[in-house]
Amino acid sequence: MEIRLKGLKKHYGTLLAVEDVSLDIPSNTIFGIIGKSGAGKSTLVRLISMLESPDSGEVYYDDKRVDTLSKGELIEERRKIGMIFQTFNLLSSRNARRNIAYPMEICGMKKDYIEKRVEELLDIVGLSGRGDAPISTLSGGQKQRVAIARALAVNPEILFCDEATSALDPQTTRSILALLKEIQKKMNLTVVMITHQMEVVRDACDFVAVLDQGRIVETGNVADVFAHPRNDVTKDFLSSVTNVSESVVRWSQENGHYTLRFRGNSTDEPILSEVANATGALFNIRAAGVQSVDGEEMGVMVLDIGPSADIVRRAIEELVNRGVIIEEEGATGGVV
Amino acid sequence: MSEFLSQFTDPGMWRLVLTSTWQTLIMVFFSSIFSFIIGLPLGVVLHVTDQEIYGGLKPMPLLNSVLSRIVNIFRSFPFIILIIILMPLSRIIVGTGIGTVATIVPLSIAAAPFVARVIESSLKEIDPGVVQAARAMGSTNWQIIYKVMIPEALPSLVSGMTLTIINLIGYSAMAGALGGGGLGDLAIRYGYQRFRPAYMVAAVIIILLMVEIIQFVGNKIANHLISKR
Repeated sequence: MEIRLKGLKKHYGTLLAVEDVSLDIPSNTIFGIIGKSGAGKSTLVRLISMLESPDSGEVYYDDKRVDTLSKGELIEERRKIGMIFQTFNLLSSRNARRNIAYPMEICGMKKDYIEKRVEELLDIVGLSGRGDAPISTLSGGQKQRVAIARALAVNPEILFCDEATSALDPQTTRSILALLKEIQKKMNLTVVMITHQMEVVRDACDFVAVLDQGRIVETGNVADVFAHPRNDVTKDFLSSVTNVSESVVRWSQENGHYTLRFRGNSTDEPILSEVANATGALFNIRAAGVQSVDGEEMGVMVLDIGPSADIVRRAIEELVNRGVIIEEEGATGGVV
Repeated sequence: MSEFLSQFTDPGMWRLVLTSTWQTLIMVFFSSIFSFIIGLPLGVVLHVTDQEIYGGLKPMPLLNSVLSRIVNIFRSFPFIILIIILMPLSRIIVGTGIGTVATIVPLSIAAAPFVARVIESSLKEIDPGVVQAARAMGSTNWQIIYKVMIPEALPSLVSGMTLTIINLIGYSAMAGALGGGGLGDLAIRYGYQRFRPAYMVAAVIIILLMVEIIQFVGNKIANHLISKR
């Protein structure tokens, strides 16, 4: 199911949570919405998932407008979406099986069907045989698996993930993301993933929108955004992911004057040497690294270029011709 | 001293103690049930109509503040005065203003606001995320109340009810002095006014035992509910 947002705005008193958000979330994809705390992520997901109505603006699921539904219609529509949370939000008064049964119970489904479906769902999320476990006995990853099963119980077309991996360790995060990707394909879901972790976007999402101070400052295909970030907030997120990524070696804390981004095939070629030979440019590499984004190699290098302005200009030209994306330090927008 | 001890061998005293114990049990049992029947919906309404940031599902500020005020008024009334005021009500409901059965009416009404607050505070302890999740799944408010809030708060509700029952034992002793019978009445009329300390001692020990047993059972149930989670 496609989701379209038009000019969403939401205030809490004088606090502006969502300023102006318009976004098309294509059907059958994993769409990441990333932002720092206070950027308005939580409010945005509450608006998209019909938990709150916007002050102004419109929310569409396919062609159906959902932000103006009546109370009864809202309850009907909510029963067609799934949602998982950072803190899992499972019912401690129920075991795993009965938690998964909950959304079906409230829709008044038949007991036999619910029982059968719960076993299926436990199997899908890899928890067969753990149905009777009280929630408190499960690990964080297992709790999120129960939550995912519960969200999928009603065969939703949309799954919202509100910081779903933020409370999990890196290894568990990877396994949960892998599960979400698998489920997305199998069930043709539209997954909206709210997060503050760039790793989550890199490892799971097809598209990303960057949220800052209640506005979308950048959006696009994940590989494109990683290769060619335009906004400073996005670059900030990217530098955090390259800093923590084990695949990156950083041998100087100082920033160079230029950031080079290589993408796909250009990571395999001796581009710097070629350019150095052709132009006589001198490169002083300060930091570099490679990561895989959506199956594509993505290289980042921070360096100084010398020795003279003329040679630098020619070197940059050559680099650009070879498909390298260059940002000059201090230059906004960053593209030379 | 020997006179005091000899009182304990008087079978007449034990008959009276037995009757009084029975009367106390009747008063406490029924007033617990009725105060719960009145207090539970009241507590739920107090919580549900509260502001959204305090977990209210359906904020209704006017209703909430009116109910809250009423509950506070009833709770701040000295119980002994409440009984006297409510005597006419007992007469209307059970046909008499005096006696064990008549006392159940003021006891229930006095305890109900307390129960309401206990239930309200138990419901406030529920993780708001769980309620949000239930809402996101399309639960009606009613479903959230009886499938999420009450089961989630159950151990805390049991502890609150234990507290209420023990309070009611204390209240019942006071009510007894105003014609309701029971162990409080026995202790005052025989133990205090007729200088028979044995009656006082017997009544106090039995009340103590009741409190201990109820606390023990209440804890057991609450712990059992928690251990299953």
